[in-house]
Amino acid sequence: MAQKEKKKSRIFDYFSEKEEQYAGGLAWCAGCTLELAARFVPKVLGKDIVLVGCPGCSAPVFYGQNTGSWHRLSYFSCLMTGVASSATGISRYFRRIGKDVTIVCFTGDGCAADVGFQPLSGAAERNEHIIYICYDNEGYMNTGYQRSSTTPLGASTSTTPAGITSKGKPTPAKNLPLIMALHGAAYVATATLSHLEDFAKKLLLAKEKKNEGFAYIHVFSPCNMGWRIESNLSIQVCRMAVRTNYFPLWEAENGKFRLTQETANPRPIQEFTKLMRKFAHLKEADIDKLQHMVNERYAFIKALCAIGD
Amino acid sequence: MTAQKGQVKVITGNGAAAYAAMLCRPDVVTSYPITPMSEVAEQLSAFHADGILDAEMVEVEGENSAMNVVAAASISGGRAFTASSSWGLSFMYDAVQQASGFRAPVVMAIANRETPGILAVSGGQQDIVSTRDTGWIQVIVEDCQEIFDTIIMAFRLAEDYDIQLPVMVNYDGFYLSYLAQAVEIADREDVDRFLAPLKQQPPRPTLVPGEPLGAGAHGIEIGFVELRYKHCTAMERATTKLDEIDKEFGKIFGRSYGGQIDEYRTGDAEILVIASGGAAGTARTVVDAKRNEGIKVGLIKLRLFRPFPRQRLIEALRGKKAIGVIDRSVCFGWNCGPTYMELKALSSEFGVVPMLSYIDGMANLDITVPHIERVIDETYAAACGKPYQEVTWIPLEE
Repeated sequence: MAQKEKKKSRIFDYFSEKEEQYAGGLAWCAGCTLELAARFVPKVLGKDIVLVGCPGCSAPVFYGQNTGSWHRLSYFSCLMTGVASSATGISRYFRRIGKDVTIVCFTGDGCAADVGFQPLSGAAERNEHIIYICYDNEGYMNTGYQRSSTTPLGASTSTTPAGITSKGKPTPAKNLPLIMALHGAAYVATATLSHLEDFAKKLLLAKEKKNEGFAYIHVFSPCNMGWRIESNLSIQVCRMAVRTNYFPLWEAENGKFRLTQETANPRPIQEFTKLMRKFAHLKEADIDKLQHMVNERYAFIKALCAIGD
Repeated sequence: MTAQKGQVKVITGNGAAAYAAMLCRPDVVTSYPITPMSEVAEQLSAFHADGILDAEMVEVEGENSAMNVVAAASISGGRAFTASSSWGLSFMYDAVQQASGFRAPVVMAIANRETPGILAVSGGQQDIVSTRDTGWIQVIVEDCQEIFDTIIMAFRLAEDYDIQLPVMVNYDGFYLSYLAQAVEIADREDVDRFLAPLKQQPPRPTLVPGEPLGAGAHGIEIGFVELRYKHCTAMERATTKLDEIDKEFGKIFGRSYGGQIDEYRTGDAEILVIASGGAAGTARTVVDAKRNEGIKVGLIKLRLFRPFPRQRLIEALRGKKAIGVIDRSVCFGWNCGPTYMELKALSSEFGVVPMLSYIDGMANLDITVPHIERVIDETYAAACGKPYQEVTWIPLEE
């Protein structure tokens, strides 16, 4: 019996047709989702972008050393406090000389949500013509898994370790993508690596929207080392984050919210937390708190999506 | 080629800074308002609003961003200008260091003000000292015309192919920033002509979209050392380069300032007073008065603070019998003025003579004529072999 040929995802085209921008043999940690994001972004946006980044998990690859480099992309590396502002300077100069350039900031949550938040907020408010991609691995992973403001409630990190008197991080994560959307930026979206087609669409829309103003994409990027996830499970963790509504996929174009991936029957949060050990110390009551937070945040996004319907 | 006579306007020091920056045709301008330089930001915004300044204006949300915007615009190939003061300079400290490490030829006007720790909405030069070791070229000026002229010269210096370093133009906050003086505004075409040689140079390395070029790569071991060395040697070249640019400016515009240092009646002087900024103007009149009394005193106005004008100072100070140094800031850990400490490091080369450090003019206190008379009298007495106090905090002894 002839097997019906399965329709191939457009994603394969991105990976097979486009010129490779990275040196052969290059690798981040085993299973790293940031690596997939870093490889995927230039595949979709093209090689003529200017990447702006800072110290963090992406830095060891993007920075280069002395005159050597592991990629062929145009790159501006600055301090964590200066990513969105440096991108502003680059963008404004090329606008001044009449050159259309796609400036892409690529940083972790430590920069975007914490130490580099002020310039990010400023650039979004000024509606600078740049794309800002935050790979959110929920902590300062490059320096040894310390908590950041996007570390979720109850997560054990090296600065909020679970112990006799501690249940991990005592406060919930800062909802950065929502905060960015409320800046009134031209385009804000969430994405993750289990949903690459969704991510690609959002990248392309961001590239289009950056001609109008600021575009921000928040990419949920689990860290195998920091969260203590088996290296073959990282994509499964991304998928489960969406299916439990822990990380809903949405976009806000000129302030109009829309869920890009609806989950018919959301799984309980345990199906997500059990895949990693950073929540291993949590008791049922703690998990309930986390579930409650997930439900509330999802309801909030749903309500925002309903506005104007 | 000499410039045509410019229009004379009565403007403040801040206004002079904004006017000069506008005439240099920057591509990207940003500044975050702070007392006492806010007027620079306002004036530049007004120029932009009126179409006189054709540049990208970025109204940033803080000084740290101001410096990152201009440094990145500069590395992309643009001419960039910003201004700040004290706290603002502290808040952009990481970006200030990065800008010089990136060899970004940014020009920044600084209306000098005391630094945080003790809240002071008042002038002082501690902010210059706090950024002394950031690898920037630092010039200190005396009056509004010199602010105007030096900002134009600063672009020539910063963007010179042999230099490629950012330049701070420092003027006394609260005094010069708000003081209205007659300033001859250079003609735009003359400024263009003065800056034209920069276009004849080989292009400096910049960010090129789509090209595999990175800015700010990780300097590893010898690669790091090499870049630091090149930065240091470029700083050294800036000393004589400033002299050359100052002379050339004089030929075209009819005003020059001595380059690294301005010497006044130093040739036959037995003792010298060293000051910078607006205090040098007061000191000049006191030097004249003391000359009339028969004291052979001269004045050195320190213009270049970084790189330190070692060679010019050695030549000017050699053979003098005593030196009085006035600072509007302190050197923590040495309990003396910073210029004094730096000159001490040079003293073996110009002769070990009595050197007296005077700390004055902090927090908007005036460096008055009697204060400078005292400096000269005590320095003269020291030259005559009388005992002297090494460090004097003048305001505490009044």
